[in-house]
Amino acid sequence: MLDAEGVSYGYGNSNGPVVRDVSLSATEGEVLGLIGPSGTGKTTLLRLLALFDPPDDGTVRVDGTDAWSLSKEQRTRTRRRIGMVFQDRSLFSTSVAHNAGYGLAVRRSWTERATDWLAGLVGGPSLAAPVEDALETVGLAEMADRSARSLSAGEAQRVAFARALATEPDVLLLDEPTSNLDPRNTAVIEEAVAAARDRGIGVVIATHDMQQAERIADNVAVLLDGTVIERGPADVVFESPSDERAQAFIDGELVY
Amino acid sequence: MPFVFTPIPLQLSDFSVEYLVSIVIVTLQVSLTAVALATVAGVALAVVVGFTEFPGKRLVESIINTGMGFPSVVVGLVVLIMLSNSGPLGDLQLLFTPEAMIVSQFILALPVVASVSLSAIESVDDSLADAAFAAGGTGRDVQVAVLREARYGITTAILAGFGRAISEVGSVLIVGGNIALNTPTGERVSFTRTLTTAITLEARKGEIETGIVLGVVLVALALSVNALGNVLRERGEH
Repeated sequence: MLDAEGVSYGYGNSNGPVVRDVSLSATEGEVLGLIGPSGTGKTTLLRLLALFDPPDDGTVRVDGTDAWSLSKEQRTRTRRRIGMVFQDRSLFSTSVAHNAGYGLAVRRSWTERATDWLAGLVGGPSLAAPVEDALETVGLAEMADRSARSLSAGEAQRVAFARALATEPDVLLLDEPTSNLDPRNTAVIEEAVAAARDRGIGVVIATHDMQQAERIADNVAVLLDGTVIERGPADVVFESPSDERAQAFIDGELVY
Repeated sequence: MPFVFTPIPLQLSDFSVEYLVSIVIVTLQVSLTAVALATVAGVALAVVVGFTEFPGKRLVESIINTGMGFPSVVVGLVVLIMLSNSGPLGDLQLLFTPEAMIVSQFILALPVVASVSLSAIESVDDSLADAAFAAGGTGRDVQVAVLREARYGITTAILAGFGRAISEVGSVLIVGGNIALNTPTGERVSFTRTLTTAITLEARKGEIETGIVLGVVLVALALSVNALGNVLRERGEH
């Protein structure tokens, strides 16, 4: 559904492109592990896929259409089929319910939002069904009324995951979603990723954690210095990578 | 002549409660109106400067910041010139009215509200703007989300603007004239006399006790408004 074709991107400084000539696809009901050491362009690549910025070269296609050939309004509609979870804490300092429901709220008109707000004042907070489901998936439904600031890092990340899930996206982009989390919270997120895949969502997860990629990815792409050096089914790549540097990275010998 | 301070008994000269209340009303009317206007204009300015990139942005920011420390008597002088009969806005006949004081307090509070709001907006982490965008937000949604994150800072900005306005004496003295009127029944009521200008007057007359009472009222007002602001700020955290 979401494809990058030969994309390159640089931040306009002398260091050159951060992502170089990368092609990959997020496919329905499949988890693609994007692995590679830190600072190798995983985040930049995910931001390109999430349509934050147009690539310097190459195209990002959604259902075969170049997303950057669309009008801004059309692109917003397209973006809304893509969910993203970031590595760092990214919750608003409001309630858990508001955070988890944010994606749905911005899809409503300003009049509808004002009505929702008034209804909330009169009748107290209520959760839309997809928001409740999403919070249920990450095991935080009972925390809906809590302030997001009072959450642990793990809980906050689960709410961020629920925020992306509640919009029922076709594609989920996850940027090192568990790199700062303890094993229990990591397990919850990984289960939620598996559940999302089973519902037919295409998942791209950037991670530098080999074990995690092995656990949850169907396919992997190894990214090094902004370019894909190895790709294929996860078990094949982990068993016998054809690229020497990919082998070194998988063996933990490639140190940056 | 040496000044003799006699704290007891408290003698508030010919100061009636009605007179005091009229001063408090004028003070609040002028400062709250000025700050309300400064909030609308200052937050709008902060939004425009905070959310757009344009050449000379740093210059605009430093002008706003400089405005925070602008001497109030100079503002009073400029407003006086503008509003005086021969000035460009002389036809409005606003000089020595509460409206003239609102104008000068507005000018004083505006850079405070704008500057503190701007720094609140600019200090919101980019990751939250990214999160709003990635959740499907439009550019407008992202701005609203950032503003919502900056709400504590903006509340602080409004309170700081109010502090600047209500404690200010130089410009309101110049453009307001510190006028109290006598009613037909012989009561005195404030027309353009605020707590600060009244204190100035009482102190100059040697009515220190009256000045102190007015000072306590002024401080109490400032503290109450701040306390109210803090309550709102804390309630907004949820």
